Amino acid sequence: MRKTFSSTIYNPMAILWMALCCLVWPMDILASDAPAMEKDLKWRTINGQVIEADGETPLIGVTVMVKGTSTGTVTDIDGNYSVEASETDVLIFSYIGYQTQEVTVGSQTRIDVKLSQSAIIANEVVVTALGLTREEKSLGFSVERLEGDELRRVTQENVLNGLAGKVAGVTINSTGGTGSSVSMVIRGATSLSSDNQPLFVVDGVPLISTLNNITEFGSRNPVDYGNAISDLNPDDIENVSILKGPSAAALYGSRAGNGVVLITTKSGKKSDGVRVSVSSNTVFDQPFKFFKRQYQFAPGFFSFTPDDLPPGTTLTVNEAEGAGAGIELDKGYFAVQWNSPRDANGVQVPTELRSYPDNVRNFVQTGITSTNTVAITNNTDRMNYRLAYTNMSHRGIVPNSDLFRNNLTLGTNLNVTDQLTVSANVNINSTGSNNRPASNRGTNPLEWAYKVPASTNILDLKDYWEPGQEGLQQRTPANGLYNNPYFLANEVNNSFNRDRIFGNIRANWQITPTFSFMGRYSLDRFNEKRETKIAPSYTRETNNGAYGIVDLNNSEQNIDVLATYAPKIKNFTLSLSAGGNVLYSQSSFISNSSKSSVGLIVPNVYSVSNIKAGALDFNSARTEKAIYSAYGMANIGFKDMIYLDLTARNDWSSTLPKENQSYFYPSVSLSVLANEMFDFGRQVGLVKLRGGWAKVGNDADPYQLYPTYGDIGQWGESTRLSKSGTILTPNLRPEEATSWEGGIDLSFFQNRLRFEGTYYEVENRNQIIRNIPIAASSGFDRININAGLISSRGWELGLGFTPIQTNALRWDINTNFTWNRTRLDALSDGIDILRFWSDAKGGAWTYVGDDIGDIYDAQVLKVEDPNSPYFGYPILGGADFEWQDISAENTRNKVGNYNPDFILGFQNQLSYKNWTLSFTVDWRKGGQFISQTFRYMAEDASTQYWLDNLINPEGRTGQELRDWLVANQDQYILNGFHIVGGPTAEYGGFPEDFSGVVVNDGYFIPGVVQLPDGTYIENLGDNNPIPFLPYIVSYPWQFASPSLFDADFVKLRELSLSYQMPNNVLRKLGNIRDLSLSLYTRNVVLWTKAKIAIDPERAFQAEASSGNRGTQFKQGIERYNVEPWVLPIGFRLNFTF
Amino acid sequence: MFTIYKKSFLSLVLLLLFSTACHDLEELNVNPNGVDPINAHPNLLMSTVITTTAQRVVGLGYGDLAGVMQHTQKDGWSSSHNAYDWSDQSWNAYYGILRNDDELRIKAVEMGLPFHEGMALVFKSYVFGLITDLWGDAPYSSALKGEQGGASNIKPSFDAQADIYAGILADLERANELLSQAPDTYKDINPSQDVLYAGDVQKWRKFANSLALRYYMRLSEKEPGIAKAGIEKIAGAPEMYPLITDPADDAAVAYIGNSDVDSWPNNTVFDGTGGSNFRRLKMCATLVDKLQSLGDPRLGIWAEKIDIPLEVDPEMPDGSDEIINGIRKVAPDVAAQYQQTHGFPLDLDTDYVGLPPSWSIVPQAYNLNPNLEQAPNNPHASHLNDRYGNASGPLLKSRLLSASEVHLILAEAALKGWSVGESAAYFYEQGVAASFVTWGVDGQFKSYIAGEGAAFNGTLEQIMEQKWIASWTAAAEAWFDYRRTGFPALQAGTIAKRPVLPVRFYYSLDEIDFNPANAQSAIDRLETTSHTAPDANNSAWSKMWLLQGTGKPW
Repeated sequence: MRKTFSSTIYNPMAILWMALCCLVWPMDILASDAPAMEKDLKWRTINGQVIEADGETPLIGVTVMVKGTSTGTVTDIDGNYSVEASETDVLIFSYIGYQTQEVTVGSQTRIDVKLSQSAIIANEVVVTALGLTREEKSLGFSVERLEGDELRRVTQENVLNGLAGKVAGVTINSTGGTGSSVSMVIRGATSLSSDNQPLFVVDGVPLISTLNNITEFGSRNPVDYGNAISDLNPDDIENVSILKGPSAAALYGSRAGNGVVLITTKSGKKSDGVRVSVSSNTVFDQPFKFFKRQYQFAPGFFSFTPDDLPPGTTLTVNEAEGAGAGIELDKGYFAVQWNSPRDANGVQVPTELRSYPDNVRNFVQTGITSTNTVAITNNTDRMNYRLAYTNMSHRGIVPNSDLFRNNLTLGTNLNVTDQLTVSANVNINSTGSNNRPASNRGTNPLEWAYKVPASTNILDLKDYWEPGQEGLQQRTPANGLYNNPYFLANEVNNSFNRDRIFGNIRANWQITPTFSFMGRYSLDRFNEKRETKIAPSYTRETNNGAYGIVDLNNSEQNIDVLATYAPKIKNFTLSLSAGGNVLYSQSSFISNSSKSSVGLIVPNVYSVSNIKAGALDFNSARTEKAIYSAYGMANIGFKDMIYLDLTARNDWSSTLPKENQSYFYPSVSLSVLANEMFDFGRQVGLVKLRGGWAKVGNDADPYQLYPTYGDIGQWGESTRLSKSGTILTPNLRPEEATSWEGGIDLSFFQNRLRFEGTYYEVENRNQIIRNIPIAASSGFDRININAGLISSRGWELGLGFTPIQTNALRWDINTNFTWNRTRLDALSDGIDILRFWSDAKGGAWTYVGDDIGDIYDAQVLKVEDPNSPYFGYPILGGADFEWQDISAENTRNKVGNYNPDFILGFQNQLSYKNWTLSFTVDWRKGGQFISQTFRYMAEDASTQYWLDNLINPEGRTGQELRDWLVANQDQYILNGFHIVGGPTAEYGGFPEDFSGVVVNDGYFIPGVVQLPDGTYIENLGDNNPIPFLPYIVSYPWQFASPSLFDADFVKLRELSLSYQMPNNVLRKLGNIRDLSLSLYTRNVVLWTKAKIAIDPERAFQAEASSGNRGTQFKQGIERYNVEPWVLPIGFRLNFTF
Repeated sequence: MFTIYKKSFLSLVLLLLFSTACHDLEELNVNPNGVDPINAHPNLLMSTVITTTAQRVVGLGYGDLAGVMQHTQKDGWSSSHNAYDWSDQSWNAYYGILRNDDELRIKAVEMGLPFHEGMALVFKSYVFGLITDLWGDAPYSSALKGEQGGASNIKPSFDAQADIYAGILADLERANELLSQAPDTYKDINPSQDVLYAGDVQKWRKFANSLALRYYMRLSEKEPGIAKAGIEKIAGAPEMYPLITDPADDAAVAYIGNSDVDSWPNNTVFDGTGGSNFRRLKMCATLVDKLQSLGDPRLGIWAEKIDIPLEVDPEMPDGSDEIINGIRKVAPDVAAQYQQTHGFPLDLDTDYVGLPPSWSIVPQAYNLNPNLEQAPNNPHASHLNDRYGNASGPLLKSRLLSASEVHLILAEAALKGWSVGESAAYFYEQGVAASFVTWGVDGQFKSYIAGEGAAFNGTLEQIMEQKWIASWTAAAEAWFDYRRTGFPALQAGTIAKRPVLPVRFYYSLDEIDFNPANAQSAIDRLETTSHTAPDANNSAWSKMWLLQGTGKPW
């Protein structure tokens, strides 16, 4: 049954939420004038002063909270505070760098407190490898921790989007809007064989999350179904630890080379009794900025005016011509158009030519996402639990697109005896969609919304069936050539449903006070079905549409055991552990579909049996893999001053040949707390120096050792097997990543000034690089090798300060800075170039010795002789009389790099009484991307940008024009691609005689033409050797550079204003507590250097890189990844009772 | 209490560990998804080799080489077809076919299967023949060894073209031996896997010898002694060297038409481009005019008549242009304006109109076409016959080698005075007749061959002209003949990349990138011509060994 959006938005939760909205404001007003009630409840105002324990210094800004509530205050400049509490309440006094104190109110009205400094300033606890909690100070490597609240300040459908801009060293990209795959890369992409995604570990369960989730049924219908991490519910997250380098992650072994993201879900541990908490939020995504298409010209090749044609000629727009260089619009011209009415004789009557610049705006709709969560928690002496349910439903901005998610989570912890604890976590979730819009080009509705002729009102296409041919023929300006965006949105349906269960059961046994043992079994399993139904008349599936269905199954099981011995020794802390892990994973799929363009037997029947036998594409495969591991670690601490960590691990992987199956890797890290050794004075809270070195091994994908024959498809009755063109490697060795990092952590002025800095280097050796192209004359065109050295280095800096911290007002600023470079140091003998992709006449490839991410382009043939007066002028010619190119592969014309120079994140939080305003902004500096959208549209003369950059001769001709161009040669001739003239006389278009009709749409390229004797003739407007060419062919298709743009941007990741309801108001609502309301927006593009309204972060093409390099996507290029920019407005309500 | 927990806890852990850890790591890594080469019979590779080669041959002869040889022209995305705008021509697919063919051959030798070995040698010769014909020097003796590892196998050295031809001829001699044994020698033949001859060994033998004949004649200008001896050897011993003389024995692979991968290229059945791929292909005036002058009935098989004829009506007032009774009538000044703009008059033929070769960067504008978008319908120019829009059909075949070609090779040999048993005239007529049978117009052969222009006039030009016509959809062979003989005497059009026809393919950037030293020395061995520049040596207008010193084709 089809899920509908309306049924979920008008659910009881939403009604409750709306009712509460109405209640909140009156309550706030009531609160101030109802003291009488408070007295009855034995409420009173408690006053007091907080001072330092070893002196009389008052402490400013100490947080004073009523336990179990969010009522509280902070001390003023004299350390004084005042708070409302009842006699059963407990006040909590907390202050960074000092030990927290709790005082029961009882009959007191004045409570003075002395706080003593805690031994260590930053004694925060973080979760590290294997889920072990460690004090942050003891770590010799960089671990970034984010609280769940920070992720939830604004709601994100995908938890990874909540990390963007907040963590140094982390880059987030996505292939599209809500529900698309989101890429997270930590410290740069250093693996050339994998998609560089970190390992996600949720409560100890490794979660399979890859980037390439594309399925394409039907011709050009690539759909990104989103990655597994999106199945996770952000509302369930307690905190996230990001282990960035191999030092931190070494214990996770093989898969940790790209870092580890440890996610701890919420538990019932903090609950005082049975509590129900509710959170409801809704966000409206309002599209506001669109790709800059031109709406000045109708489709066509020549911009005729009525004056150009013999009197009495009827102007006709031929919509079959995709190009946008036809008759000018809004000039009062009348022409016969595709939908012009017919007169009594059936002859079409000319209608006025008008432009419809709001076509795309009219096509898209406001996206609505609503997320509601209910959680029940309890905590007793023996056990605690949390049971939560979340429903997310999303209506996309493309009509008829949606996404739904349901999560059911249970986390329990049972103290069987004082020594034995058993805990279990189970997550059951279901993610699905009735329709995910396709990306790239083909069935992408947005692509076609932009292709609707400027002279056609998109609303005229809303009834998308040809009258009388409903279900068989879509209605378009030119059937067979155009697709109606409404047809694509409604009749190309790419649905999916993914059911996932993951969880673990874990027992922890404290055998003696110094010896403990842990055992854990974890499972992650999912089943996913993807189904595509394409209705008849999609232009690339003309045989009754298309159908395809695939069933995907994946599972991974892990068994862990860990024994820990932690004896108490004077001045030392010591912990020794040894453990083992068995990993077993399997995957399988079965897929059936109609072959591309072959179609179905009977229209509108979507089943496998409706596909002709010879036209059925069928496939299935399964893979299995196991890794056995043994590991050990030692943590040694001396007097809270020095901490040393040692780890060692050995893996045995099924994917490597027997002789190389086993591989060992160690790590070491050191943390030195200088502030414990030397007295830096009271204002210095922390001076920590840290450093670590680690090695991590990695195995291969399954079945990379010996070749098999593949089936290339029947030829009639005959079977066709084929030997793979890729040379496999029977003696494959494990990969080896070696890294070191060093850093310093500082804290001053009671933590009001904080700094963290890390420098790291990673060297990846023996990488298993797949599909390296080789000379095909060897019989093989690809080879998998163990080779190379890829090195990364980078800086991660964090600076935080708290400029204002008073009674009512607190302002926190945190900035983070990311700088990373990854260099290809070596490949293999004789192979000195690695190609990531080739497209748009250019490509991203890296020569040995250069940085990863370089973009190359074809080169313009220019006058090379520095003594020539035409030095640097383009030499025109070739079959099209335009710029001539030296192909990109043949030259080394580097034009950019898709990686940023640096990323700067900026987070602010401003609290005033019960109000909190927070915002996160990040700035990406540097880097470039290629916009294929722009290139395709410009080639069709449909971009505004190209029109805006024409050189208008403004009446100059002959010698005058020539001299003017030469005088401005830097601007008009030497650099970039320039044409003189344009589509009409107003643009300076030159008269052009074509098929007997003179049209003023001629242009020429300023440059020279080379004669056979090597001399040049000028093509500068005075007696040009090359005739004027029509504007329509003016775009330099042979080059990528005209479509290369800077990727710099500033984004407002998050902006939220929240209000915490005061406790005295809440008391009147009975049991309700912790009620907060917020209003937010997210991911708003504030500024891009490229002025074409394409989000540079979406320059990430969901398409396997050429060379099929594993699962990597094409970075630094986009093709019709053009969702309009949106301005989201979200509301959120939380409360507990 | 304590011990109960302890025991149950430990046993649970151990149970879990062993239940999962019992997988044997090596067994887990055996790929269940493909066919282990050890278990695969060479039969399973046979259809792969035949069909992928067949698709290449059509790709060449119905693709850009049909443009070079002026069978067809395109009026959309036309620069490589019409104007030879080439730069980077990959041979990867050819070596990919050879990878499978080599695997087939090695397995056949190991398993003692002479039919399979012979068949594999024929295709080895066919594909290496194409490679050297198209590019010149190429890896041959050290090719296909990448799997053995080592730099020299991943970067094979290039063999001289002369040595490749010698190797091909030796392999075909060996194939003839393998395919001429007693019938009980052959085993394990699976007729349905042999999509060319359904396991008919004798036909394969004819194919091998006919291919040898082709390659001896290929050497006729460069190594006339070898060519003469080889052709006389074959023609003089038909028992020992049977040839394809009956069109029924033509080496031709039919298309299946189930889906795009097994269908005639650019068909409109599985076309996602609204028919654009088919529509952009038009007849070329050179072929149309020649066939019309000969009264050749094959024209109607290959081409479609124009939709709307043009007529210049002297009675009409200036500027008039209208369609009356299915004829577009224009005033004389409109026709004159067209001629003034383009330098040639309107083509007023009422049946078939071809596009002149490489005449314009806007070829769709030909003959006052009102539709100026790329790849349009042009009511005043001939599209290909509608059958070429089908996915399959009785005439839609990849033609690897034909009886017509064999006869015309023998005609040429006879004309040279070589001893081939019959006269040039005899073989010429046999060759033309065979083509008429192939295209289903044999009933009109008698009147055709008696006609002016078709009746044998004793010239090489006429033999080559008929070979050129008969090579429709297989124009590669016509190109190779043109390079060797200069016939038919084709001229490049005004917007062609060079003023003369190209004579080879560019070595691809892949090979130059990944096998640089060997590729460079092969490039250095090319002979530059006055048309090579501004390319460096690696140009379509540089001459390979076969053409060096022959003075042909220009």
